[in-house]
Amino acid sequence: MTTFDQILPRVAEVLRTHADRLPTLGPLLVNRDLNGRVRLVVGEPTRTDAKAKQALDAIAHELQGQLGPHAYPAENAVLFEADMDSVCAGVPSFPLEGLDGVQVIDRLATEGNWASIAPESTGAPRIVFFSIKGGVGRSTALAASAWALAQSGQRVLVLDLDLESPGLSSALLPEERRPTYGIADWLVEDLVDNGDAVFEDMMATSTLAHDGEIYVVPAHGRDPGEYVAKLGRVWMPKMRSDGTREAWSQRLSRLLDALEARWQPDVILLDSRAGIDEVASSCVTDLGAYLVLLFAIDGEQTWPGYRILFRHWRQSSVVRDIRERLQMVGAMIPETDAVEYFAGLRERGYDLFAEQLYDEIPPGEVAGERWNFDASDEGAPHYPWAVRWHRGFAALRSLHARFESIDAREVATVFGPLIENLARVPRKEGEGNG
Amino acid sequence: MQADFLDAHHRHWDDAERLFAAHRWANADHLYGMAAECGLKRLMLVFGMLFDSVGDRPANQPDRVHADGVWARYESYRCGHHRGATYVLPPVNPFDNWNASQRYAHQSLFDAARATSHQIGANQVRQLIKKAQWEGLI
Repeated sequence: MTTFDQILPRVAEVLRTHADRLPTLGPLLVNRDLNGRVRLVVGEPTRTDAKAKQALDAIAHELQGQLGPHAYPAENAVLFEADMDSVCAGVPSFPLEGLDGVQVIDRLATEGNWASIAPESTGAPRIVFFSIKGGVGRSTALAASAWALAQSGQRVLVLDLDLESPGLSSALLPEERRPTYGIADWLVEDLVDNGDAVFEDMMATSTLAHDGEIYVVPAHGRDPGEYVAKLGRVWMPKMRSDGTREAWSQRLSRLLDALEARWQPDVILLDSRAGIDEVASSCVTDLGAYLVLLFAIDGEQTWPGYRILFRHWRQSSVVRDIRERLQMVGAMIPETDAVEYFAGLRERGYDLFAEQLYDEIPPGEVAGERWNFDASDEGAPHYPWAVRWHRGFAALRSLHARFESIDAREVATVFGPLIENLARVPRKEGEGNG
Repeated sequence: MQADFLDAHHRHWDDAERLFAAHRWANADHLYGMAAECGLKRLMLVFGMLFDSVGDRPANQPDRVHADGVWARYESYRCGHHRGATYVLPPVNPFDNWNASQRYAHQSLFDAARATSHQIGANQVRQLIKKAQWEGLI
């Protein structure tokens, strides 16, 4: 019985046996639908081309035999389309390995596909805090980073995009300072062109900043209201008045641009949801990140997750668009055996990056222009920026009080490498006033 | 004969396009309406419309409507189905001024502008039908 992972290899196998006839078909798309069933899409002129029709019939019958439940009946397995570009518009696609000119169009039930990588934004650098597993101190590290960057005089815009498990803003804002609205409110109001009604009241400045400024945009306002009902709608795409469609992630991107224009930050920190999730996909790939911090603890729950993600980027041929923005962060480095623990983390980080992302260096050659790093290179993306575990920072709930009484030395002890490296992120010329 | 909304949608659209190209505005206009109705009824089946296979028609009376009425019925089914969120039509029905009984009217009452507005409406339905095929809903 054919299962999902065998679909593409078997399609490739069938097409290879007809390689000599493929040129008669013109552009060929392998359309894998929402249920994981495959149809071929070819240009409209093929419909009346007897030779091409014969080839398509043969291929369709073989696909039916090879793919079983993942195929359509042969007589219904081919769609003819006059406008081939429209088939691919806004949908993840990638070349079918080993077959020139054959593209796979992969339709997902979620809009987040992790493989359409937006170019880096031209404004203030956007830094995404992401972890494949939750509970690794990601939001705490973000709060500490915001605090440290503000201490150095920067204007820091912070967005809590962990919409399904919000909490970051409680670390940066005391209860009484929280704004009336949050990101979920704007995303819902925007659906009815009413975003302006909440825009000015979805940001509050943190009292923790002294020299700089921390602008906090929470997931929800002081009173969350009907948060579950709103959350169920934030993913809605929007129909523009000209009939074109704007995905929810594009709406979020528009909000981020508007917040940046309004508050003119020097740097933007985004707290992403953990895991291979819809919001995380948007944060990591769609919002024009300058840097994506990959939080990791050394354990079996970390590496397979990142490996899935990196492999997906390779299969989708987007590795080169994303890899130079990635940086591992070693989260919650334990107090005991810290050196051994860190060495293990670094080694497994290196193995993963070398296997999935770094360019291969053929034997006897030097790296040259190739994107490759030594395991021990402290400037390499696999080399973790260390964050130590610390009892005082373990509970996000009491963090605001904690930061109010904190001193820089204590923060440096726990978050040192992370904060030092973030301080080196170049500011865009002419941006901000810090 | 058994209803086949998908095939009927395609043939009404194809014939409407031929008539439109030949400046046969009245019948092109009629068939654009039929194409839109059949296409939306095919999608309504996906989104939960019940069908009476003995009577060979939608099971519920309110669903037995033509292009001028089907836009609103489609929206009811679309909103009630989790996959409907991405199958949006513009809120104003371009077939508000279309009626099946216009097939009895004099052809001089139809012009290119009228047929074009209904061609646009039928094409919006056509795009949704394509999307549903690509996504495997039909």
